[in-house]
This record gives sequence, C-alpha cells and structure tokens, in this order.
Amino acid sequence: MPSSTVAQTPSLSTYLKSLKHNDIETSIELFISLLKRRQIKNARPCAIATINLLLRVVGESRIRDAQQLIERIREVGRRLVAAQPREMTVGNIVRRVLEAVREVAERDQDAANGGDSGSISMPSTPISGEPQRRPDYRSRFSEFTPLQGISTQPQDMYARAQAPGERPGTSSSFMDNVAQRPPMASSVASYAGQAPSTTSLFSILQQHPPGRSPFATPPTGTQSPALKSSPTRSEESGADKFDMKAEAINSIQDIQQELDDVDNEISEFAQDHIHNNEIILTHTSSHTVQKFLMKAASKKRKFTVFHAEAYPNNHLETYATIINGGSANSQDADERWKPLTSMGITVILIPDSAVFAIMSRINKVLLAPHTVLANGSIVAAAGASTIALAAKTHRVPVVVLSGVYKLSPVYPFDTDDLVEYGDPGKVVDFQDGEFMDGVDVVNPVYDHVDAELIDLYVTNLGGCAPSYLYRIVADHYRVEDIDLSAKAEAEVEGG
Amino acid sequence: MSEPAKAPEPTKPAEEAKISPAELKKRAKAEKQARRAAQKGDQGDAEAPPAPFTNGVPEEQQAQKQSGPQDSKPKGGQTKSQQQQKQGKPGAQEGKHERRGSQAQPLAMRPKVVQTAPPKEEARKNSKQVELFSHLYTQPRRHDISGATKDVHPAIVALGFQMSSYEICGSSARCVALLVAFKEVIQAYTTPSATSLARNLTSHYLSPQIDFLKSCRPISESMGNAIRWLKKLIAEIDPSTPEQEAKDYLCDEIDRFIRERITVTDQAIASLASGLIKNGSVILTYAKSSIVEKTILQAYANGTRFRVIVVDSRPLFEGKSLATSLMRSGLEVEYLPFSGITHAVKSATLVLLGAHSMLSNGRLQSRVGTAALAMQAHKADIPVIVCCESVKFSGKVALDSIVLNEVAPPEELLPPRVAPSQPPTTDRKDEGDDEESKVKTLHDWQDIAGLQILNLMYDVTPAEYIRMVICEYGNVPPSSVPVVHRLANESM
Repeated sequence: MPSSTVAQTPSLSTYLKSLKHNDIETSIELFISLLKRRQIKNARPCAIATINLLLRVVGESRIRDAQQLIERIREVGRRLVAAQPREMTVGNIVRRVLEAVREVAERDQDAANGGDSGSISMPSTPISGEPQRRPDYRSRFSEFTPLQGISTQPQDMYARAQAPGERPGTSSSFMDNVAQRPPMASSVASYAGQAPSTTSLFSILQQHPPGRSPFATPPTGTQSPALKSSPTRSEESGADKFDMKAEAINSIQDIQQELDDVDNEISEFAQDHIHNNEIILTHTSSHTVQKFLMKAASKKRKFTVFHAEAYPNNHLETYATIINGGSANSQDADERWKPLTSMGITVILIPDSAVFAIMSRINKVLLAPHTVLANGSIVAAAGASTIALAAKTHRVPVVVLSGVYKLSPVYPFDTDDLVEYGDPGKVVDFQDGEFMDGVDVVNPVYDHVDAELIDLYVTNLGGCAPSYLYRIVADHYRVEDIDLSAKAEAEVEGG
Repeated sequence: MSEPAKAPEPTKPAEEAKISPAELKKRAKAEKQARRAAQKGDQGDAEAPPAPFTNGVPEEQQAQKQSGPQDSKPKGGQTKSQQQQKQGKPGAQEGKHERRGSQAQPLAMRPKVVQTAPPKEEARKNSKQVELFSHLYTQPRRHDISGATKDVHPAIVALGFQMSSYEICGSSARCVALLVAFKEVIQAYTTPSATSLARNLTSHYLSPQIDFLKSCRPISESMGNAIRWLKKLIAEIDPSTPEQEAKDYLCDEIDRFIRERITVTDQAIASLASGLIKNGSVILTYAKSSIVEKTILQAYANGTRFRVIVVDSRPLFEGKSLATSLMRSGLEVEYLPFSGITHAVKSATLVLLGAHSMLSNGRLQSRVGTAALAMQAHKADIPVIVCCESVKFSGKVALDSIVLNEVAPPEELLPPRVAPSQPPTTDRKDEGDDEESKVKTLHDWQDIAGLQILNLMYDVTPAEYIRMVICEYGNVPPSSVPVVHRLANESM
C-alpha cells in the first residue's frame, strides 16, 4: 500500500491521485469505501470520481467485444451504486458511460454490417420491475420510467401483438421477428438508442448517427453528430475492434469535459435570467449558483442576494463561499474565484428561519439540487422544501440550476427513501450527554421538492420547464441501463 | 480675507455692464463646483477635501468609533458636518485667496477638514444595515450602564440587562418581570412637594425607566399593554389619597394584574388546550413558548400519552431548553433543526404555537420561523393552534414581517470563534503565502464591503394558516382578535 496518503483525510483529491498508481480492483474498492463512509459526497465530486474510475476501467480492460465491455461497466456500476444508492450521480455517470459505449458499439456495428438489415444491435427490452438489491431502498421503476413509452418500437408492437397475454414489461422474443419485418423508416425524433438505422433512402437523407439522439449533449469538439458519421463508417471497417475502445474512451472523455464545463455553461445563461435591482434568495454553498451570479454581476447587473445559511450541515461552507469565494481547498487552482461581494453585489446572510419573513420582497429564488428526478422534482439540501413552498405562497419564481449529469432516470415512488439522515452531532453536540440520551435528535440532510414548486430548470443545455425533463433523460440514457442489476442483463441476453 | 474679495466688488458697479455676465458666469461655476464637492463629500469621496488636513481626521474617527454603537450621535455629527461643509465649501471656492487666509485660523478649518471622513464612516456603517429594515435600526442595544440617567432604578437596570442578554426571554416572562420590577420602583418613589402622585409618577419617574428598558431591548406587545394599563391606573388615583396608601394600592393592583391576566390565564389556557391532545398525538411545536410548555405538561399530567417534536432555530436555540425540560418530565421528545421541518410535519398531528402578539388582522407575530412551520403544517393539513393570553393581543395590523419587527445585533449570528490550533505557517506552505492573509472568516464581516448580516426576531404568520386561537375568553378564530383586544385591553 502506498504510504503517501497517510497524513491526509481521504477525499476526492487523494482518490484521484491514487487512481494513477493503484490497480483497478483496489481503486474500485477504495471508491466504494469512500462512498460508504461519506468521505466523498455531493454530486460533483462523486461524478468526477466515477468518471475517472470508469475511464480507467475502460482503458485497462482488454475486452474487445462491446457487449463484454458493457457488462464489465455494468458490473462495476452495480457495485458503486450499491455502495451509496442515494448518491444518484454515481449511477447517472455509469449510465451515461454505458450509453456512450453502446453508441460507439452501434456505430461500429453499422460500419461492420455495411448498413444491412442493420437493426438494433441490442435488445430494446423494457426492463421488468426488479427492486434494487439493498433492502431498504425500495424503488420500482420499470413500468413508470419516463422511457417506458418511448421504447416502444414497431417491432415491439408486433411482438406484443403476437403475445397478447404477456405483461408489457417483460422481455419478449421479438428478436426472431426482427429479420422478418422490415424496419420502418421512422422519423428519428429522440428515441434514445432506439432509432433504427435503416437502409432506405430516407435514412441516408436523415444523416442521423444511429442510436444517438440529435438533442443529447453534443460531444465536445464536433460541430454536429451528422458530420462524424459518414467518414467513420468507411474508415473503420478493418480496424473497428481496436478503435471501439479508443472511441469509447473518447466519448467518456467528452463526458468528463462536460463535467468540467458544466458550471461555465450554466452561467452563460445568467444574463437572461437576472436583471438589475433584483433581490435573489439562495441557499447553501453551491458553486453553480455562485458562478451563475458572478456571471450576471460581471455583466454589470446590480442586484441583492439574500443567502440562507443552511445550518447545520452546510453553514460553514456557506460562510466560506460568501467571504472567500472559491474554496481554498479546491481540487485545482482554476476553481478559485472571487466572492460576490467583491463585484459590488450586496450579500445579506440570513438564518434559515427568516426565509418566510423576507419572501414577500424576493424576486427570484435560485436553488441547486443534489439530484434531479425524471418527473421534474429534485432532492436538494434540507431547507429547500421550505424555501420553495414559501416562494410558491408568495408567487416567487423558483429556478433550479443543475447540470445534466445530476438528472437521474430513476423514478422512485417513495420520496422519503431519497432523504438521507446525517450526523445528529451537528445539531446537538454529543458531549451534551443527558440531552442526547433522552431526546431523539434527527438531522435530515436532504429535502424532496415537488415538481409543482419549481418553475424553471437551467441546465448546461439551456432552460426548460420541469415537464420537459423526461425528454432530456431520454436523450442521455438508455432504457436498458436503468436497471443495472445482473438479473436484467441475463434476461435480456437470454431472451 | 476680505480684501481680495473686496477687490472685485468695487469694480463691479463701475463696470457692471461688462463684468457682471463674466462675474455671474464665474459665480455660477463656483456654485456648481461647490455643489459637486458637497455631493462628493456626501459620498465620502476622498478627493473632494483638501488632502493635507489630516490632523483632524484621526481625532474625528476616534470620536466616531467611541460613539460607534449609538447611531444617533454620528448621525447628528454628520448633519452638523454637512452643514458646515456646505457653508465652508462655497467660502473656499469663491476665491482661492480665501482658503489661504482661513488657513491661519486652524479652529475654523477643522470642521471642514473632517467632512469626508465622517460621511465615509457613515456610509460604511450604514452599509452594514439592511436597507429593507432600516426603520428598525433606530437604537442599538445598550450593553453597559454608561449613558443611563441617574433616575433609573437599580432593579430596572438589572432587568434591562437580563432582557438584552436573553436571560429573560419570551413575551409573558418579560411582562411579568417588568411589572415585578415596577412594584419595587413604585415603592421607592416619593412624590415631590409641588405635585401629586397621579401626575408626577408616570411622566417624571416611570418614563425614564421605560426609556432605559427600550434602549436595552425594544419592549414587547405584552409589556406595552401592561404599561398602558398601569398608566391609566395611576392617572385615576384620587389626588387626596395618602402616598403610601396609593403606592400600596398600585402594588396590589399589579399583583392582581399578574395573577389574573397571566398566571390564572395560563392555567385556563393550558387546561383548555390540553383537552385537544389525545392519546397517540404527535405534537409539533417551535422554539419555546411558556404557555405551550404548560399545556404539554398539563396534558401529560392528565395521563395522556403522546409524543412531542420540537423544532429549533438559530441563534437563540430556545427549543433546546424546551426539549430538555419536557424530557426531564418524562415525555418522548424529538428534536430537529429548522432544516428538518419537512421531516417533522410528516408525522405530526397537531401544531401548538405560542405568540409574541396577535395582530388585529388575525395574523400571528411570533419567533422568526414560525410562519414557515405554520405554512408547512397547513400544507400537510395539520391543525395549527395558537395559545395566547389576551394581554398579548394588539391593535396593530401588519401584512408582512418587515414593518413590525425587531432586528437583533448581527453579532449574535456569528458562529463561535474557533481558535487556530496550530501556527498557520507550518502546514500551508504549498498554498502560497498570499492565501494566508486572504482566508477570512465570518468574524471579519465588518471589513467586507457589501456583506450584511440580518438577524430578525419575529415574523408574521398569515391568518389562513391558523385554525384557532386559545385565550382566556375561550377558543376563538383568528378573525376575532380585534374583538378580544377591545374587550380585554382597551376597556379597562
């Protein structure tokens, strides 16, 4: 074991450093233990760690077959998600990587097939409702996933028509039917991963790369997906196996780049949402919100910010963010930025209890979530629900700033399960023995905020209403990746 | 000084036709410059005043800092200096010779010298006040005895400091403490020869006491009602009554007031409200209300088995003392920080709240955070019940939490200071030496321009969130508050 990390508390930065010289299995185990012990928490550090780990996994794997690579990633992803199911960003990134790999595989398969019958390379089975392994996290998501309806294919319908007794959610043996029925030249809206690559004239004119929605986050460095598709097909016929891994790594690096740029991309929209003399209310030490406001301030908007301190879980970081801007302990030196007050903006610190009192004078509420669920609701730091409800009462618009990486395709029923409970020692010191003995001290870390309380989402792809989020989910994830459990994969393969 | 000024003047009538337009132009220009300089001086710009006069500046700044906590003094100083500035500037600008001449008189120059320094200090001081609540920053809290007039009775002094340090906190407690202190004060009073007790006691003796208390902490609605009642009582005393008899009468009446309107009322409300608590209830309450505490203990003593959830908030953490006392009595208590309200309302069946005052438009003024709790409970369809004695009912109305409120010192919100455990230089060398000086804590908030801290004490809960108000007159809806107020507080 390397001895260099002895004196430092394990955290994201130490983990990233250790990734370079540990072997894969050790890295995975290290990440799992960091997640379990909550030494890595909050969406972005978890996302960064996951993507780096998966990059290494893909890079070091000697697998040539796409399916095996997908299975490997699924296996790793399963373990990570099981370590901390409430840290949904981990699962989101795993699913994004899977989507990227599948897309690369599809492209290669198209090239290999030369555009023949060229139907879907993977089954588009809607996953049956398997509960997660961890017993206390009950989430059933098959029939109610937002992607359920989208995954319907002409082939599916044909298959289902053949087997009327079957439950719509189970896998059917439609693969047999595929060869018989010519694929329909459908207009390729945004069926994530389901767009059939056909050989009809229409498809040549469409110029959409198969399996990739034209509305998903564009890979950085490309103008449009269409330009990429045709040259690659002809070039890669011979060496496609080798290139598949390289391309997969490229796609993963694109996701990594997206993670780095997400705050900047969101803050590009700041001018559209903040005008002069606004009074804005925000909450916690979110860097996304701070950068958003900084961008507006740099465009010479003069506004006032009421900042609720988010006691007891986040208040010290909130003070640090207000006073010093970007934290001094940030991972890379680029992450430092000046505090808002240095740009001439008045920042007023208030305790959380005062949000209702001042809400009548607030013009806009900015929230940053921990996770965004596919139905438009969010899981945010504790206190956000009170703020959003007070805003609704006073008819104040609530804007949620989040990168697409926080958007989860999982749609659990019991929103109580999403709320994590933290250290009661932060509320009352454990030294207060008599109190802690006799009184039940509870410290919820997160709050679930209903979709009706939110007016607008600003993501790195732009602004949208909560009702549109399911489309963004469909653009970025595949149906078959929602359930990472081994049983689902086996079903798919066996069916 | 006058000679150069006289020079242009004699020539003026002689060549009035020619020079006056030029003279007028010159004067207009001088006035414009003076106005601009006065504006700049208001904004605290350092360029406007002459630079070399630095002697007066540190002195004035020192005086400013001494009178720091009292805003009234610097404001007076500012207006004075502004007036002098406006007088001085035109004088200085009319002719450059003017200035040199007046340099010989340092005394006259000094007020002009420090013109920009106080406005700068002022601007900085005022920028620490939240503009929305600027009407509430009238008087900073007194923390020591300096400045108190000799008329203030020691009992009142002690009470004042107990209130400003939150030792006595809570509307009913403050009211009772005030009346008890007043009893002592009244007994110590002697009527001066020329006047009668009825006329003299209130205006010359009690008023300074009340002013002192106001300077320690703004008085509550219950205290206000009690003082009004007492003043009315004093005014109705027959002038022929001997002094000691009058004083004894007043003390007896005060005792009766406390007993009737607070002690017995509390018992009545407690027994009424405890009937609402059933077996298996989950009572949710916020911060610490003495009447809610009595209700819960009464219900527990009656044999009902239920559990209590207490939600608490910064900076006073009153809920913690309530939770402790309930726990010690044997109840099952759950304690949550304010951020846990959503969790709290999931399992609660009844919300009991105390009040600072009930406003005449049916709204509840109570500890800041109560409104948010009532809102969440209302959304979850949990009944919200307010227990409030009639002495707290008020004739005031408010639509928001901004006009009627109290702003506490922002320093109360600062986190406890963490002493640096190691010398800062050893561990952080890799971050560079610049970072050391840049890392500030919230305790440096005064130095950061644009950063303000707001510490509100009360908020106003809309009437639609309140199901019922329990007072000694029974269970009334919030809309009946003005009726009860008229009955109880105005027709005595």
